[in-house]
Amino acid sequence: MKLWTPLSTILRRTLPSIPYFPTSQFQSPTYNFSPSPPSSSTNSPNSLTHNFHFPLKTFCSGSPENFHVRCWTCGHVAKAALFLVCDSCRTIQPVDQSVDYFHIFGLERKFDIGVENLEGKYKEWQKKLHPDLVHSKSEEERGYAAEQSGRVIDAYRTLSKPLLRAIYVLRLEGVDVDEEETLSDPELLSEILEIREAVEEAADSQELNQIQSQMREKLSHWSNSFANAYRCRNFEEAQNSIRRMTYYERVNEEIVKKL
Amino acid sequence: MAEPAYTVASDSDTTGEEKSSSAFPEIAIGIDVGTSQCSVAVWNGSEVVILKNTRNQKKMRSYVTFKDDIPSGGVSHQLSHEHEMLSGAAIFNMKRLIGRVDTDPVVHSSKSLPFLVQTLDIGVRPFIAALVNNVWRSTTPEEVLAIFLVELKAMAEVQLKRPIRNVVLTIPVSFSRFQVTRIERACAMAGLHVLRLMPEPTAVALLYAQQQQQAVHENIGGGAEKIALILNMGAGYCDVAVTATAGGVSQIKALAGSAIGGEDILQNTMHHLLPDLEILFSKHGINEIKSTGLLRVATQDAIHKLSSQTSVQIDVDLGNELKICKVVDQEEFEEVNKNVFEKCESLIIQCLHDAKVQTEDVADIIVVGGCSYIPKLRNLVMSVCKRQELYKGMNPVEAAVCGAALEGAVASGISDPFGSLDLLTIQVTPLAIGIRADGNKFVPVIPRNTTMPTRKELAFTTVHDNQTEALIVVYEGEGEKVEENHLLGYFKIMGIPPAPKGVPEINVCMDIDASNVLRVLAGVVLPGSRHPAIPVMEVRMPTVDDGHGWCVEALHRTYGSGLDLVTIQKKI
Ligand SMILES: [Zn+2]
Repeated sequence: MKLWTPLSTILRRTLPSIPYFPTSQFQSPTYNFSPSPPSSSTNSPNSLTHNFHFPLKTFCSGSPENFHVRCWTCGHVAKAALFLVCDSCRTIQPVDQSVDYFHIFGLERKFDIGVENLEGKYKEWQKKLHPDLVHSKSEEERGYAAEQSGRVIDAYRTLSKPLLRAIYVLRLEGVDVDEEETLSDPELLSEILEIREAVEEAADSQELNQIQSQMREKLSHWSNSFANAYRCRNFEEAQNSIRRMTYYERVNEEIVKKL
Repeated sequence: MAEPAYTVASDSDTTGEEKSSSAFPEIAIGIDVGTSQCSVAVWNGSEVVILKNTRNQKKMRSYVTFKDDIPSGGVSHQLSHEHEMLSGAAIFNMKRLIGRVDTDPVVHSSKSLPFLVQTLDIGVRPFIAALVNNVWRSTTPEEVLAIFLVELKAMAEVQLKRPIRNVVLTIPVSFSRFQVTRIERACAMAGLHVLRLMPEPTAVALLYAQQQQQAVHENIGGGAEKIALILNMGAGYCDVAVTATAGGVSQIKALAGSAIGGEDILQNTMHHLLPDLEILFSKHGINEIKSTGLLRVATQDAIHKLSSQTSVQIDVDLGNELKICKVVDQEEFEEVNKNVFEKCESLIIQCLHDAKVQTEDVADIIVVGGCSYIPKLRNLVMSVCKRQELYKGMNPVEAAVCGAALEGAVASGISDPFGSLDLLTIQVTPLAIGIRADGNKFVPVIPRNTTMPTRKELAFTTVHDNQTEALIVVYEGEGEKVEENHLLGYFKIMGIPPAPKGVPEINVCMDIDASNVLRVLAGVVLPGSRHPAIPVMEVRMPTVDDGHGWCVEALHRTYGSGLDLVTIQKKI
């Protein structure tokens, strides 16, 4: 569950020639990326891709500050901030990090979204952006296709899963969630240990299914409580809900492994 | 930009060839090289057509015969009779043998074939040879495949009246990246450039996506997403895919596959008819080859008949006063091949599970491949999916090659005014890719069925105090222990700063790019530091260019557990 996947799309394009772990700045033709400010709140602080975190300001800004974007091949001026493919010549454009996942899917930035239409929109984008479709185009465009298509995959995965979506909307608010944080609430700790024991000792798949449906209930409960907290901008409580969801999700994963 | 100092790329002959764009793109042809049969198809500008050889065959036997020392394959060569293929001079089933070492059970099960398959069980490539004028002439599956592909290429060039270079090839789901390099090597030997390798059921999925798209255009049914389960079983492999299709886009949800197929059914049935088969055959003399050949043909024939009748009479004289006279009925046949059908069933269940799809959500069930005529297989699929009927819109033995031809056109950048090529397949990783850690365990970094392109990473740590080096051994597969998986390569990280065990964090990152190239990156970080202790090492995989099973053992003998790693446990 690494939210920072957008940075790996940057790495993906320039992978063979990236100066790893630069000390200051990594220049790209369109945007400036700098190492994220020291913080204890990334989920994998020593990640190989860590130093390519975007400064939150750039990451969050959905503002139309780059409205004068032009198509890199035909020079056509973008009509909207969402400019993944040129309307005029169909060429795939470089990734614009100021466009967030909700924006890509034409959704309002909020937690309660209908996920039913995501798949359709996802496929629609892939039909325009997937690298397989620009196989015979220039290397540069193939690179953009890989990047854009990878980003749409990440966006789709993030938005379709409540836990990932929750972490994402908080991050857009500038709040980082540390999923690997050690559990400090003794009550939750003993509850989790108990459930894990039950999973380990479950005699058959029926018992596992039972625990799984309990986990689903808990997940939907905490997902609701996240939605409320987020609406009221109570980020403390929202983080707490995410922590709960993370643990129940892990139990769920373990059950799936055993089933 | 300069290349980083620590990039290690394989010097393999099959890597990174850039295709130049031209005004008139050459349409890549689709090739389905099956274990037993093969076909070629191409987009002709308005539809897919299957090419025929000079004998008017769409399906050609996949074999190469070394008679008279000049090899010739099943495309051009006409068998005088079936037994000619079983005389020891012909090599077939290369798709089952390619890229496998001599400890592989699939290689072992090939020892009763008429040509020579010898194993030393030390993890090197098996000794494969054809009998030419009473002398064993050694060859390799790559060479055999290349000879065969040269004939296919020539046939296609005559018919299409143009040189052929680009191809889309179908491969089994269970093929490792190492096996893929062997296929690419064979293609390169034949002067072909592989534009795309498609797991067989995903080629079928693309054809299905096109059919659904056409149905929408003709206003049959809505444009809503449809989930299909595809089972493709030929002589060598059984593969399953679950795909979600909408608007001409086929998103593969999950894949599952195994090297089990008609060949296993044939061998099981042969053993049933002649339990002493192994003893008879171990000598591998001309008479034994002939007897086994006779039995093989008779058994093949019987299995064929059992797809339309309830029992079959087998009457065959194997020579040396060995006669088989037996009636085999459907029930007996199914019992004898229980292991095969059980494996198929478990693949379907696993695939549905991995795709997180309930059987009631599956709109269509597609069963294709040479084995799709076996009643038991059809019933089994319907019973697992709780359905009364199978999808009827496809020719079971042509579906995969048609899908490959469609992909060939799409990947060549061809567009169709009627939107027939408005198609896309979004692939997933068929096998997990990971490294050896926690003793002898295979620890996946990229799980199977991950949408590609992708990048994942996992943190490991040292097992000894002051451990300064670590071995990254990369495997691909599904087994829990490393030896159950395919070795892709290995490299060593050096210069880890001395620290107590468990302290250095060794991050292993795996990246599969849009061209399906796998890169493995490894970096070392000490706690409190935000910078790598040593330069990040990046290696393109696979690095092994031959069966290297023995290398791992040698590494083991030399280093013991001295360079081992363990996973970092998730905190609670
Ligand atoms: Zn343009």
